[in-house]
Amino acid sequence: MTDPVILANALSKWYNEVIGLNSFNLEIGKGITGIVGPNGSGKSTLFKLVTGTIRPNSGTLLVMGQKPWKNPEQLSKIGFCPDYDFLPPDLTGREFLSFSGGLHGMQGTPLDARIEEVLAVVEMKGAADRKLGGYSKGMRQRMKIAGSLIHDPELLLLDEPLTGTDPMVRREIIELVKHLHKDHGHDIVVSSHVLHEIERMTHQVALIYKGRAVASGDISEIRRLMSDHPHDIVLEGKEMLALARLLLDKQFTVSLELSPDRRTLHVKVSQPEEFFDEVPDLIRESGSTIERMESLDDDLESVFRYLVRW
Amino acid sequence: MRTQLHTTGLRTLTWFSAKKLIVHRRWAIALLIAILVGAVMGYFATEIEEGITAASDLLNILVLFFFMPILALIYGASMIRNEIDDRSITQVLTSPMDRRLSYLGYYFALSLVLALLLMLVTTIGWACFFAVKGFDASSLELLFGYLLTVCIGALVYSALFLVFGVVLRHPIYLGLFYVFIWEDFVGSIPGAAENYTIRHHLLVLASSWIDYGEVATMTGDPWMSAMVLFGLTIALLAIGSWAFWNKEVP
Repeated sequence: MTDPVILANALSKWYNEVIGLNSFNLEIGKGITGIVGPNGSGKSTLFKLVTGTIRPNSGTLLVMGQKPWKNPEQLSKIGFCPDYDFLPPDLTGREFLSFSGGLHGMQGTPLDARIEEVLAVVEMKGAADRKLGGYSKGMRQRMKIAGSLIHDPELLLLDEPLTGTDPMVRREIIELVKHLHKDHGHDIVVSSHVLHEIERMTHQVALIYKGRAVASGDISEIRRLMSDHPHDIVLEGKEMLALARLLLDKQFTVSLELSPDRRTLHVKVSQPEEFFDEVPDLIRESGSTIERMESLDDDLESVFRYLVRW
Repeated sequence: MRTQLHTTGLRTLTWFSAKKLIVHRRWAIALLIAILVGAVMGYFATEIEEGITAASDLLNILVLFFFMPILALIYGASMIRNEIDDRSITQVLTSPMDRRLSYLGYYFALSLVLALLLMLVTTIGWACFFAVKGFDASSLELLFGYLLTVCIGALVYSALFLVFGVVLRHPIYLGLFYVFIWEDFVGSIPGAAENYTIRHHLLVLASSWIDYGEVATMTGDPWMSAMVLFGLTIALLAIGSWAFWNKEVP
């Protein structure tokens, strides 16, 4: 039995009167682990505690066996990609990586070589000399991940890396995460408010709700519980009427609502996994072009309420 | 290994932070100040008969009295606070560099940029004045005297306003209080109150190398003022780095 990568015991963190984490218990092992929870559930608070940018009010947190608060040495083993956009628009991708590497004590030829290596991993070599301000959302996400990889950390923390990206970029980032673990050996903790996205990366998940870990372990058991509960999914794009017609014939479709401009389709489905399996074929068949697709946060909130029987 | 990490990290942070300060749109404020100082000094040179004494007094009023603390406030108080607010500080906080050392990196960058900007403003004002009156050896001596003074001023004021940005959520208010109420108003009340301002000690120190104008008439022990400024800078850096080390950044 190997030591857990992250071990939280009765961990609490509050910001004045707002609770971030509340008697939070969790053990995360090696490999890829997904942290799933609605917005405001405490995912980002957990990452901030793990990186030592904030300190716990009570309880204990051990990251690779050590307390993270006021422990900068440990950060040489951790790479952090936050959910917010912090990239300086005036720097080029290469300069940004040079800055990140420099802060980790890297310089000269080894740093240059590592920058090339990381750019290849995230497939950003072609855009490395462009200003970050001109990057698309997907490119920015890739560059943020590259910045967190520059020092070849043991543990990679990815906070909502898929938020705001289109389906194509989501698929690419999901493949990248799997590749980083399989071929480069990084242990990865990745958060999302969409369970289906996490499921495409790993089967090891922890569900967080209102600052508590409500379930953790293999995803199949949790999915079985959630499959019984209807999901709201929103699709945005062109030719949505044709797609709506095809969805109407499907058993898993509970209800459909098309916006007046016929660009946004709200679908309530009873078996989300079947929906996600079939939707690529339906899109192809209908001739629709999808610009955005996501499970609504409110829906996940209701699923969590359902799971904890609130 | 840790030494290499810290020296490389410090160099990287100083270099990138200085670059960020220079390319920030605030450079337009510095440019306007330089143009204003140049225009005022050039105009006075055409209007008054006095030469180097008037130039010294104008540089004292325009640069040391007014624009040096204002520029230091504009650049210093917002430096770390802006990075916290726009979250670009994430990379620094999640790097393995000791935060106390990171704070020094910000300080070096701020002092460097501030000194460069103030030297530019001073040189433009001096050049505009003596372009009318004529350059000579004593005018050069005056320039070097003021350049040295603004460099020392940049080191002290940077340490002061950088602390404000770490400790306070809205550092600009205390900064404005210090510059306009404390230094300009309280510091000009007859008596010992001026001893508690940075500007007074800076002027006493400068009086040992500037021989013209009001600065040259300052009374006081330059060595004592040097010790006060040095001690204050070290104390402010210690407080700032301690506050940064203990700061939670949600």
